[in-house]
Amino acid sequence: MLNIAVCVKQVPDTGKVRIDPADGTLVREGAGAMMNPDDLHAVEAAIDLKERFSGTVTVFTMGPPAAREVLIQAMAMGADRAVLVSDPVFAGSDTLVTGRILSLAIGKTGTFDIIITGVESIDGNTGSVGYQLSEFLDMPLLTRIHSIEVAGKCVLVERIYGHEYQKIEVDLPVLLAVNRQTNTHRHPGLAAVNLAFEKEIQVLTMKEIGGSADDYGIKGSPTMVVNYESISHKRDRVVLSGSLDEKVDAFMDVIRKHGILRY
Amino acid sequence: MDLSYTPKQKMIRDTSRAFSRDVLQEYSTEMDRTGSPLPQNVMDKMAEMNFWGIQAPIEMGGAGLDSVSYSIVIEEISRVSAATGLAVTVHNSVCLAPILLFGTEEQKERLGRDLVTGARIGGFTVTEPNAGSDAASIQTRAEKKGGSWALTGQKAFVTNGGTGGIFLVAARAGHGGNTGVFIVEKGMPGFEVGKIEDMMGMRGNMVSELILNDVEVPERNLLGSVEDGFRISMKALDTGRIGIASQALGIGMAAYEAAAEYATQRRQFGRSIGKFQGISFKLAEMKTALDASRFLIYRAASLRDRGLPFSAESAMCKLHASTAAMDVCREALQIFGGYGYVRDLPVERYFRDAKITEIYEGTSEVMKIIVGNAILREFGKY
Repeated sequence: MLNIAVCVKQVPDTGKVRIDPADGTLVREGAGAMMNPDDLHAVEAAIDLKERFSGTVTVFTMGPPAAREVLIQAMAMGADRAVLVSDPVFAGSDTLVTGRILSLAIGKTGTFDIIITGVESIDGNTGSVGYQLSEFLDMPLLTRIHSIEVAGKCVLVERIYGHEYQKIEVDLPVLLAVNRQTNTHRHPGLAAVNLAFEKEIQVLTMKEIGGSADDYGIKGSPTMVVNYESISHKRDRVVLSGSLDEKVDAFMDVIRKHGILRY
Repeated sequence: MDLSYTPKQKMIRDTSRAFSRDVLQEYSTEMDRTGSPLPQNVMDKMAEMNFWGIQAPIEMGGAGLDSVSYSIVIEEISRVSAATGLAVTVHNSVCLAPILLFGTEEQKERLGRDLVTGARIGGFTVTEPNAGSDAASIQTRAEKKGGSWALTGQKAFVTNGGTGGIFLVAARAGHGGNTGVFIVEKGMPGFEVGKIEDMMGMRGNMVSELILNDVEVPERNLLGSVEDGFRISMKALDTGRIGIASQALGIGMAAYEAAAEYATQRRQFGRSIGKFQGISFKLAEMKTALDASRFLIYRAASLRDRGLPFSAESAMCKLHASTAAMDVCREALQIFGGYGYVRDLPVERYFRDAKITEIYEGTSEVMKIIVGNAILREFGKY
């Protein structure tokens, strides 16, 4: 029976995040929160493996108490257990410290055959937690997964590499990073959502995972986000006129002039 | 008084919204253009979402949700497809809910489970060609014959008529003017689906006539007793009106959000049209009307969940929400100008869909009668 872990993150609802026109910073207030989109596909991949090959799924998230909601959402989709890794000292942790915290929490919780994460989060976009977990847990990482099969003590993965699929066989345990190219995630039923709110969530704090306050948060982080800036592109608007042939010729001139075509 | 959603209600909203966007939206234009219903595989996916048993007990296969959550689900579906929202709310609120509330354990087990799982779709009908608001003048008769009832008559404008399998049918029973509610099942000899209506809006819902030619309905399919029929019908409509109001809210929200987004993008006279007070005032009025609808709906829903009387509040929320939906859709279309009038955009469909919410499950005029009577009872001798 497979023991599968999934790491998910609660992020601001980017559909509602605004840019402050005064200084270009993100205004998150009032934006609401949601599960990081790639992580929805990670949960789906885990549940799909559980259904096809038999197993249990434990979902982890690091965040404030409000992050419980993404765990509940994952349980509504079919995860069996949920772990909230939360402590005020974790606030402000960069991706490296986040990866370390998650790896400690995973180690404290059990031994897993497959760990699945999303490729990247839409708020930070560093895409590095999967790689960090791979180092901390000493597990191979495969990214950009198209399909996953399990055969005995191995996973068989098809991944997208440029314009090709690669087929790779990897011994368990293994880390996989997925996104919307991997699957179409399910929508949990209303009954599943209702029942998920009754399920228990285990909480791990610094006390359980070890270390001291200096190891975490801003103090423990070698990097920090200094500034967000929105970049806007001015678009030139050129209207081509004339017959269709004339417009095509004019269009070809424009794209040659801008070096888009080199013949 | 905390008027914000609980975390569970938020998740219900987000889940319903995502499903409606990802699964239902692609069918909404075609349903409107062709008048065809949703394909069966989509109906099955809705069953997996527990949309056919939103408030039914979880042990029956339902979702076991509260009435505010119910309203949220209907609103989210209706934002994307009002015709689908109509199918879901009529099925849940005026067919399944009365069976769960007034039915015997045998009826709940035999019929309720099929409804909750979506194996059969439900409908409810009082209206006849010559009996609309004057519900007391229905002509469909139920005559006792041995251990059964024989129903004869014609029903009009039956939502889910063409796709439904279980219908609550109001009929005059025996002598003495009682109205009974009979559970009529498709396939019973003498039961026939008549003309499918070609409607201005809600296209894709198979609203139809039902023809009853001496349909033999067993005694075990009588809901409550023949003395209960009027009360059961009125209670059913009290609940149904929360659903219709939610549907109207969903249509209005879709129109409002489309108009608000358009107003920030459409540029005339060197600025976005939303910068002109003529447009921003419209948007302000639309938002205010929709928010008021929302909280009137939630008040009626909350009263229902607490087991308190809610007939007047239900009538008020339906009256307000349907009026608001029509006003909002009209103004949204106006904001879009010529683009609102063409069928390339869904705005004109919202406008056509909204109108019926002022009519079915009790016209706005009847809603005012209900509320007016409640006021007179409250303030003096009536």
